[in-house]
Amino acid sequence: MPELPPDVTLDEVKERARLAGLPIPPARLSLVRGFLSNALRPIRALDSRAVRTVEPAVTFDAKGGAEPGS
Amino acid sequence: MSADELCYAGIRELGGLFRRRELSPVDYAADLLRRIETLDKSLNAYVTITAERALADARAAEAALERGTAGPLTGIPIAYKDLYATKGIRTTAGSALLADWVPDFDCTCVARLTQAGMVMLGKLITHEFAFGIQFPGHRFPPARNPWNLDHIPGGSSSGSGAALAAGLTVGSLGSDTGGSIRGPAAFCGIAGLKPTYGRVSRAGVVTLSWTLDHTGPMARSAEDCAFMLQALAGHDPADPASAREPVADYLANLEGGVKGLRVGVVRDYFFEQVEPETVAAFERALGELGRLGATVRDVAIPSIHATPSFMVIMLTEAFAYHERDLRARPELYGDVLREKLMAGGLFRGDEYVQAQRLRAQIREDTARALRSVDVLVTPTALGPAPAFKVALDPDFPFAKSNMGPFNVTGLPTLALPTGFSSAGLPLSFQISGRPFDEATVLRAGHAYQRATDWHRRRPPVPA
Repeated sequence: MPELPPDVTLDEVKERARLAGLPIPPARLSLVRGFLSNALRPIRALDSRAVRTVEPAVTFDAKGGAEPGS
Repeated sequence: MSADELCYAGIRELGGLFRRRELSPVDYAADLLRRIETLDKSLNAYVTITAERALADARAAEAALERGTAGPLTGIPIAYKDLYATKGIRTTAGSALLADWVPDFDCTCVARLTQAGMVMLGKLITHEFAFGIQFPGHRFPPARNPWNLDHIPGGSSSGSGAALAAGLTVGSLGSDTGGSIRGPAAFCGIAGLKPTYGRVSRAGVVTLSWTLDHTGPMARSAEDCAFMLQALAGHDPADPASAREPVADYLANLEGGVKGLRVGVVRDYFFEQVEPETVAAFERALGELGRLGATVRDVAIPSIHATPSFMVIMLTEAFAYHERDLRARPELYGDVLREKLMAGGLFRGDEYVQAQRLRAQIREDTARALRSVDVLVTPTALGPAPAFKVALDPDFPFAKSNMGPFNVTGLPTLALPTGFSSAGLPLSFQISGRPFDEATVLRAGHAYQRATDWHRRRPPVPA
């Protein structure tokens, strides 16, 4: 599987939008690309196997947060 | 004290005037309502003015004062960001979608402050759904910055920042997912506290991002934030993220000063792209804390550069909240915001999980830094408030955020004014503490404000 480039391309944005069924107007594609590139850069730089094991911040509590009857 | 001075009075001062019967809460509320009527035409801070409710609350406060049952917040005026559900009063979230929503309940924060005797003046405009500035033609016009009407007041708690700076309320509540309390505080020259995640209930506050949303007080001083936090903090079973940590006495040690306080400065990341005037104001503030007896040293957060990944979390969660309406009624979302929210639907599940893993790493590294110091201080924003003509460019990039790291980590963070740019716009720094240690953050902020007068400067409010 080829490695992903550090930045999201316009073609990738278009493909993701098509798969998600979201009609992003052409005039806004570059804005969306900026959002995705900025947010995904640290993730694409992450080597998931090399980094020490870190559980996601979100945890699941089987008892739930709400008190009975609330 | 003149009427102009009175409208900028703090909670302790007003409480004293009320208890000594030197000022009536009813007269004071009426004065502020008149001021709002006059000045808000140019500021657009208020989306709804609740004059009748304010006067009824004020009469109840007066009765409590007469009975001797008044608390520290009795009779103090407040206005809420229009994201907080208010029973019988429309709650728009700054959106066309909720423009006519009238909740049949008060959110927990409003209920607690009402119980504490605060006087509701009205609801303050928010960026649409706490995320998108209103572009021209929107159902609601954006608030303007009292320091310069051509500049934004920051967001998303835009009306809160503008109303406090203009003396149109004494307290407000904001919400902060990536800086929405601290940004307007920075741009409007006021104080804003984002408490620890879970410290103040979000129940009944319109969601942007479940794992990043915080609620908290905005005011003109750290001390006023402490007064409001005292009434707000505490477990709420209606908010699944609400903490059961004991609530400290935020006022007991407020005057304790910063002698011996260990202050850490993170030089990496937080100074990138920051304008020179903001850096200079920050260094002056640091010097002031040193003169007051704090010890200052640099500390490192190795993973801090991964912070932008928090946008994966925020946008994905926001999309999850809005997807049904985005697909069914996209025309009811504002320009640009619609596509920003849709961007959240373009991330993959693995990317969301990796962003949460990076978040855990940033949290760990920040906790490690806070073992050697008591607080961290950093510039709040990269510079002063941008002009509308800049912010309303649809391609205006989402700026690198100095505030986001403290949403990622959930740490309590207080933004305070620390000077002005050469153009006369406020500058700010933020003080962050350990989880649930708001008391130390507020004490440090109060000590700084006793030694400086930036928070007492007033904008040239247009008549």
